[in-house]
Amino acid sequence: MNVDAVQTALGTEHAALWTYGMVAAFLGNQAAAVAEGSNAHRARRDTTERWLRDQNATPNPPAAAYLPPSPVSDGPSALAALVAAEQDTCAAWRGVLERTDDAALRTTALEALTTAAVRATRWRKAAGTTPASIAMPGVASG
Amino acid sequence: MLFAVAVAPLAVACTTEPPAPPPPDPLSALAAQARADAALAKTLTTVPAAAEIAKARETHAGLLQAEVDRERPPLSSTAPPAPTIPPTPPDPLAALRTALDDAVREASALVAKVPTYRAGLVGSVAAGCASLREVLS
Repeated sequence: MNVDAVQTALGTEHAALWTYGMVAAFLGNQAAAVAEGSNAHRARRDTTERWLRDQNATPNPPAAAYLPPSPVSDGPSALAALVAAEQDTCAAWRGVLERTDDAALRTTALEALTTAAVRATRWRKAAGTTPASIAMPGVASG
Repeated sequence: MLFAVAVAPLAVACTTEPPAPPPPDPLSALAAQARADAALAKTLTTVPAAAEIAKARETHAGLLQAEVDRERPPLSSTAPPAPTIPPTPPDPLAALRTALDDAVREASALVAKVPTYRAGLVGSVAAGCASLREVLS
């Protein structure tokens, strides 16, 4: 239960990290923000893998490649891929919140959900999406 | 004699205080806060993001109130009291920023204390308020 939900979250962290690497070429003018997001997901991936090993679980490895929701070929499509990756991590970490009574894990999940929601908002702002905010991050309709 | 002995515990049971009413649902405070933020945001007609913030906080209020009412159905069908609109603060934009910061903090603190079936809802509200705060920054 807990472990499965955290494995799912780890999967979205792997995917987000891959996405940040893939879009970097199209977002040269926002290299600092891309690097910041990338570093945040790398750190989250590492702590998540550590948590799983502490539970005697084997962290799922990353896939060889991921399919963004739509092809990435320029700046706007790169931003859309980042927004999608961040929203996927929001949903997965909300899923962890709904499945654990472990206080430390809840704190981690909330922090991951909140920071991903803020980054998604930042990228939506950069893309000129309205509304830029996400009322209920981690919920499909929000 | 035997009768008296049998009746005594009953009398005690009947005169004990009724159980104290349950403490207020912690989610009602979050819902009230969301309603107040929406009301404040609506007064900021000059801020472009205010309408979006008002709408999002109304969404939060609706979802939180629905959860409060689900767990403890209201005795009457009266709607929750509309927030009393405080006098417009001298700097409404700063007031809205502060309100959203408070909302992030209070919802985040509550995530640790609620049962799992509420943790996702409250967590999304906290993250949603952080997202709204980012729009204003």
